[in-house]
Amino acid sequence: MKKTSRLVAALAAGALALGLAACSPGTNDAGLTTGSSTTAPLLTLGQIIEPTSFDPAVSQEGNSMPYYQAVYDTLIKRAPDGSLEPMLATEWTYNDDRTALTLTLRDDVTFSDGAAFDADGAKANIEHFIETKGPQANQAASITSVEATDATTLVITLSEPDPSLEYSLASSLGFMASPDAIGSEDIASTPVGSGPYTLDSASTIVGSEYTFVRNADYWGDALPYDSIKFVLLTDETARVNALRSGQINAAVFTAPSTAQELESSGFTVEGQLGDFSGFVFFDRTGQLNPAFADPRVREALTISIDKEALLENVGQGRGELTNQIFPSDDFSYDKALDTDDRFAYDPDRAKQLLADAGYASGLTVTMPISPVFDPSIYTTIEQNFSDIGVTMERVEFGPGQTIPALLGGQFAITYFTLATFNDWTTVRQYLAPDAPWNSLKTEDADLAELIKAYQYATTDDERTTAGQAMNEYVVDNNWFGVFSRVLSTYGHDDTVSVELQTQQAVPSIYNYSPAN
Amino acid sequence: MLSFIAKRTLLALSQMLVISAVAFFLLYLSSSGIARTILGEQATEEQVAAKTAELGLDRPLPVRYVEWLLGVFQGDLGRSYFTPQDVSDALISRLPTTLSLLIATTIIAALIAFALGIAAAVYRGWLDRLVQILSIAGYAIPGFLFALLLVIVFAINLGWLPATGYVQLTTDPLGWLKTVILPIAALSIGVIAATAQQVRGAVIDVLRQDYVRTLRSRGLSEREIIFKHVLRNASGTGLTVLGLQFVGLLGGAIVVEQIFALPGLGTVAIQYTSRGDIPVVMGLLIITSLIVAVVNLLVDLGVGFLNPKARVA
Repeated sequence: MKKTSRLVAALAAGALALGLAACSPGTNDAGLTTGSSTTAPLLTLGQIIEPTSFDPAVSQEGNSMPYYQAVYDTLIKRAPDGSLEPMLATEWTYNDDRTALTLTLRDDVTFSDGAAFDADGAKANIEHFIETKGPQANQAASITSVEATDATTLVITLSEPDPSLEYSLASSLGFMASPDAIGSEDIASTPVGSGPYTLDSASTIVGSEYTFVRNADYWGDALPYDSIKFVLLTDETARVNALRSGQINAAVFTAPSTAQELESSGFTVEGQLGDFSGFVFFDRTGQLNPAFADPRVREALTISIDKEALLENVGQGRGELTNQIFPSDDFSYDKALDTDDRFAYDPDRAKQLLADAGYASGLTVTMPISPVFDPSIYTTIEQNFSDIGVTMERVEFGPGQTIPALLGGQFAITYFTLATFNDWTTVRQYLAPDAPWNSLKTEDADLAELIKAYQYATTDDERTTAGQAMNEYVVDNNWFGVFSRVLSTYGHDDTVSVELQTQQAVPSIYNYSPAN
Repeated sequence: MLSFIAKRTLLALSQMLVISAVAFFLLYLSSSGIARTILGEQATEEQVAAKTAELGLDRPLPVRYVEWLLGVFQGDLGRSYFTPQDVSDALISRLPTTLSLLIATTIIAALIAFALGIAAAVYRGWLDRLVQILSIAGYAIPGFLFALLLVIVFAINLGWLPATGYVQLTTDPLGWLKTVILPIAALSIGVIAATAQQVRGAVIDVLRQDYVRTLRSRGLSEREIIFKHVLRNASGTGLTVLGLQFVGLLGGAIVVEQIFALPGLGTVAIQYTSRGDIPVVMGLLIITSLIVAVVNLLVDLGVGFLNPKARVA
C-alpha cells in the first residue's frame, strides 16, 4: 500500500514485457521459483475453519482466503509484504480526485467452465458482490457504478475516495468467478474460477478435507504444487499432532505455548506481529456508564493493567507492547506510539487519575467475558482493576454470542483481540461513526476532520501526515487501551518454504514452495 | 413383545418432543445476534434486519417451533445458517463416522470387559485384584489424556498409525481400521473399566446362588455352568451398563473426534454450536436423541430376552 498503484502497475507492466524473454529459467512473474527441482506433488495444509460457501460474494477472509485463492484469481494481487501487483488487471489508474478507478484487464484468461474473462464478466462479478450484501459488503460501499467500456477496460466509479479499494480488489471484492456460474446455487459448493487450481469434488469431504488439483489450462505460471489439500483441524492439539506425524506440511496455531512445542520438535515457526489486544472503550460519550466519557478514566483503566506481565505470562512473550491500533506497514503507523510510556503500568497514577475524575471512592465496570480468551486474562484484569479500586462485574457469554452482544452496543468496555487491517479498513472497522466496532456510534468532529484529510490525500506524504495525526488523536483520546500486538504462530515442516502474508492470518497460496 | 416395543417407542417420542421443545426455546432465546454473526462485523443494521426477516427470526418463537417440528416429521431438519447444506445432509454424511466408531468401541469393549469380569469373578485372587486395579485406573484416566498418549506413542514416535483423519469403511476397510484403532482404544478404556467391574460383581452374585450349587452337585462341568447358566443371568447387568456407556460415548466422541480430527457428529457439535448454527444443533439433538432411544430399546429387549422377569416388568 505504501507504493502507489500507478508506480507498481508501471513497473509490473514493464517487467511483464521484458520478463518473458529476460527472466532466468525457473522464475515466474509471481516471484516463485518453479522447475523440476522445486516442484512437488502435494501440499497439505491444516486449516482451522471450513469454507461456508464458494460464492465469492459471500467469501470470508483471514483463515479462509486460501480456499478462494486456489480457485479464483483476484483483479489485483497482494504480494506477501502487502504491495500490489497485477493479476487479472495488468494496470490500474485513478482519476485526479480519486473517484474513478480504471483497470486494464487481461485478454487471455479463461474460466474452468470454458467461459472467457472480460470486462463484462468483471462488471457482473462486482455487481453480484454488491447485490449479495455478503460479510465483506463494505468493501464495495463507495461504489456507485461499474462500467465495461470495452472488453479489457473496467471503470469503477465511487461516491467518494476509498483508500482501500485496491486492497479490496485484491481480496473478496476482487475474486472473479465465471459469469455463467455467479448467481447460481451450485457455486456455493462448486466453484468455477480462473485460478491455478480446481476443486476436486471426488476427493473432497465437506467439513473435513478439501482437495484442489492443478488447473491444466491456467493462464498464468503454474504454482509449484500439483495439488493442495486443506485438512480441517479445528483443534489445536490435532493440528500439532498432524504436523508432528507428517500428515500436514503447515498450519496456523493459536495457543502461545505451541510455538515452543513445535520448535523443540524440530519444526520451523514463522511469526508476524498482527492482531492487537487490549480494551475497546465503546462508551466514549458516557451513554452506558457516565464515567467513561472522561478520558482520564479510560486512561486510568489502561495504565492499571500490567501489560508486560500479561504478555509474558499469558502470551508467553509472543508479542510486543504497543499503544496503537494501526498496522506497522501502512502510512498511519508511528513507531513512537509503540514505546510511549504514558500508558505504562502505573497503579498509583491510575488511582490519581480516577480521583481527579471524581471517582476516588471507586468505580464499577461491567466486563463481557468471552469464552474465546484465556480465563486468566480476565482474572488479571480483575485483580489489576481491584488494585485501583475498580470493581469488575462479569457478564459471561457462550460460544458465538460475544461479538453480536459487543456490536449491539450493550457494553461500555471490553477486552478483545482484534485483527489488524490496512489504514482505511481500520478506520471503517473501528473508528468511523458507522464502524461496527464503534458500537455506540461515537462521533468526534476533530477525528472526522483527520479521517477526511486521510481519505482525500493524493500523495504518500499527505497520507503519512494525515494518517499519523489521526493515529495520534485516537491514542491521545484513549479510544482504545491497547496492551500489545500479537506475534502469530505459523508452523511448518522442512519440506516447505513459506512467506507470511502481511495483514492476513495465514499465507496466501502463492507464498509456498518446496524447500530445497 | 410388540406392545412392549410400542410403549417404549411412544415414551421415546414423547421424551424427544419435550427435549426438542426445551432446547429450541433455550437456544433461540439466548441467541439474539444470529443474523449479525452470519453477516459478519461489517454488515449494517439494515442488512442485519433484512437477514433476520429472511430467516424468519422476527416471527413468534412458538410458531417457528411448530413449523420446525412439522418439518422434522417430514424428514426436513432445515438448512444450515452458515453453510450451503441441508441439515439432514450435513448430519447424515457424518453419522457413519460416529456410529462406526461407537459400535466398534462398544463391541470390542464388551468382549474385553466380559472376559475380564468373568475371569476375575471365577478365579478371584491376584487376577481379581489386578482387574480391579486396572478398572480403577481406567476409570481415573481421562479419555482425552489417554488419546493424546496413544497419539504420541503410536502415531508420532512409532509412526504406525495416523494421528488424525478418517477413511470411510466402505471405501477402504484397511484404511478405516488404521484410522479408528487409536480413537477406539481411547474410547474403550472407560467402557471396559466400568463394564468389567459390573460384570464381575454380577457373576460373583450369581455364583453364590443356590441353583449354581445344585448344578455343580448334578455334575455339570464348570465351563457349562459359567457360560450356559451364570453368564446368562449375569449378562443383564453388563448389558445395561453397556447401554449407558454407549450413550456416554456420544459425549466422549466429541472430544475424541476433535483430537483425531474425525469428521463425525462430535466435530459437528463443536463447529456448529460454537458459531450458533441452531438448525444444525437442533438436528444433532434429534439424531442423538434417536440414537439414545434406539439403544435403550435394544438394551431393554436384550435384558428381556436374557431375563423373562424383566420383560414382564
